[in-house]
Amino acid sequence: MPMLQLKSRSYEVDDLLSAQEFYHAKGWTDGLPIVPPTEDAVRACLDGVGLPPDRVIGIESVREQSVTAEKLAINAVMAGCLPMHFPVVVAAWKAMLTEEFLLHGTTSSTGGCAVLVIINGPIRRQIGASGGFNALANSDRATACIGRAIRLGLINILDVRPGGIDRSTLGHPGKFSYCIAEDEEDTTWTPLGEMRGVPKGVSSVTVMASMAPRQLMNEWTHAPEEILETFAAEMRGSQRHYSIYGGNQVVVIPKQLRDIIQAAGWSKADIGRFLYERARIKRSEWGDVGKGAVVRDRGESVYIALDRPESCLVVAAGGPAGGFGAVIAPWMGHKTKAVTVPIGACTDRDPNEQEHP
Amino acid sequence: MTIRVFDPTNEASPAAGAEAPRLISLHGTTIGFISNGKEGTKEFFTHLGGMLEAEHGVAKVVHRIKSNYSAPADKHIVDEIRSWHAVVTGIGD
Repeated sequence: MPMLQLKSRSYEVDDLLSAQEFYHAKGWTDGLPIVPPTEDAVRACLDGVGLPPDRVIGIESVREQSVTAEKLAINAVMAGCLPMHFPVVVAAWKAMLTEEFLLHGTTSSTGGCAVLVIINGPIRRQIGASGGFNALANSDRATACIGRAIRLGLINILDVRPGGIDRSTLGHPGKFSYCIAEDEEDTTWTPLGEMRGVPKGVSSVTVMASMAPRQLMNEWTHAPEEILETFAAEMRGSQRHYSIYGGNQVVVIPKQLRDIIQAAGWSKADIGRFLYERARIKRSEWGDVGKGAVVRDRGESVYIALDRPESCLVVAAGGPAGGFGAVIAPWMGHKTKAVTVPIGACTDRDPNEQEHP
Repeated sequence: MTIRVFDPTNEASPAAGAEAPRLISLHGTTIGFISNGKEGTKEFFTHLGGMLEAEHGVAKVVHRIKSNYSAPADKHIVDEIRSWHAVVTGIGD
């Protein structure tokens, strides 16, 4: 079968360094050097997922921008992705292009969130995505490059450039790359993807429009309630200082605290229910942090950090030692929703469609 | 030897919209205001609507607020635009 031609415009550059200056000059980078997207490299990504270049992965509906496999592959190569990373990139984009993710709003907002990608399932080990040491940062090549591919794709395919579509006041470092893998081997908990409906043993990605991680510490108790109260307090703080509205919240629990909570028999669902009850504030508390002007006559109204217990996305990840954890708040409450899709599923199908007998 | 590399941008352009006809006069018209819901629009849009009525002969000012300030206007608002002569919209940041 003849190979379909790549449709993107091509350019000739003299060498690797010339390619860097060419891409920077065009405004096609995130400020860091890129891997030149050659035809062989782009085709290797496409061949790895069995997609023709012109396959539409999804459409950003507000600006009517289609996102093709070819453009995703070009940006993935630029980000440093190998072909084995590309299935995760494609799945993440499918999730981002669902209506409930609100891609245009989340990427254009002054709120400055980033797209957090959480990887579950066997593909983590196949691509070397680590959920161990330094899990939220530069833990490994796979998560670093996949997260960067998401951002470069936003910049180049959807014009999400600072001062252009991206109107972020501050942004945060996760906008370079924001991808983690769950440490499924070192936990008794159900993987996040499975919690969210993906069959056991099937790889998945979960995407969420996310603020920067906020690290907490409590290594002075063996009571799960006390450990989780610290997480709840962090959520309450974010409600007071940032946004009062509830939505998804990512809770990253490394091994030291996880072992205590697991040993006490708490499941991820138990954690979600506990935090749903504890992470809530009254609107009047805005008055304590300088926001009294917008309390008005609704001081007794109660706001919950999670719009429902199941919106708590508990992730087992982090190095083996240290009584730390992290909470990752949503961009703006329930206005966007975390989306989970299986990796490698048929790209013509709505991932939210229910199977009917 | 040179390297052949590819354009990472979305080279396809979305369909262009047509510009609405310009009004010759505001006298006797209905003007709709669509706020994104942020605080900054409230006082400003109210004041501007009052000016249009008092100083430019606008017959009616309609104020609508989007349910989500980061999403397109709700369908019922978009549908209502047909009954207006012009729209003023903006963000409240």
